[in-house]
Amino acid sequence: MFEQTFPLRRLLSQRARSEHPLRARFHEYWYGTAREARGLKLLREWLSPEQLAQFEKKGYFDVTGCDSGKRYRILHGTAMNIHEIDHAGQVLAGWCFVPSINLVAGDVMLAQKIALETNERRALAVAKNFSPKGSGLNMFVPL
Amino acid sequence: MATQIVMDHTGDTRHIFDAMDENALSEAEGRFKELTLVGYTAALRTAPGKAELMRTFDPTAEETLFFPRLIGG
Repeated sequence: MFEQTFPLRRLLSQRARSEHPLRARFHEYWYGTAREARGLKLLREWLSPEQLAQFEKKGYFDVTGCDSGKRYRILHGTAMNIHEIDHAGQVLAGWCFVPSINLVAGDVMLAQKIALETNERRALAVAKNFSPKGSGLNMFVPL
Repeated sequence: MATQIVMDHTGDTRHIFDAMDENALSEAEGRFKELTLVGYTAALRTAPGKAELMRTFDPTAEETLFFPRLIGG
C-alpha cells in the first residue's frame, strides 16, 4: 500500500534489495582474498630461502621430518596435501593432518611445516594416511 | 618490539608489544598460557625457515607463532 503510494520509495526499496546480495558477495570475495593473501604472506615469512624459492616456482615446498629424516612435500592446499617422497621425489604415501579450526591455505601449510620439522612423530600420530596416486587432488595451484 | 602471531579465521592476528614493559610482558605471558591451555602450539622462529616449539613462555622471544591443535584430516 505504502509502496504503491510512493513509487520513488518502491524503486529505492527494490534497488536496495537487489543490490544487497551483490554487496554481500563482493564483501565475501574481498574479505576472502585478503585472508588468503595474509596467510600466504605469513607462510612466506617463515619458509627457508630454499623452500620459498621452491614454493614460488612450483607451488609446493619440501620439508624434512625431525624424527625420521624422511622427506615430505607440502602442496598448496588445505587438506590431503602432504606427500611423503623418496630421494628422487617419487611419491611414497599421502598424509593428512590439519588445524582443528578452519584456516586459509597459507596458515595450514605453515602449521604442517612446523609440525613435521619440530614434532614429526606427534603430527603423524594424528594424521590419516591416503594414497595420493591418481587421486586427482593436490594439483599445482597458481599463486 | 616483540610479536605474538595467532592464526585465526582472518588469516592471523598480530600482537606487538614492548618486552621491556612489565605490563605488556605480563599480558603476553597471559596470552601464551591461555592459548597453549586450549591446545595451541607455540613456535619460536630461531632462524630463517627454522622454528622450535615453546613449552613455556620465553620473555626474550622476539617472534612467536601460535597455531591450533592438529587433527587427522
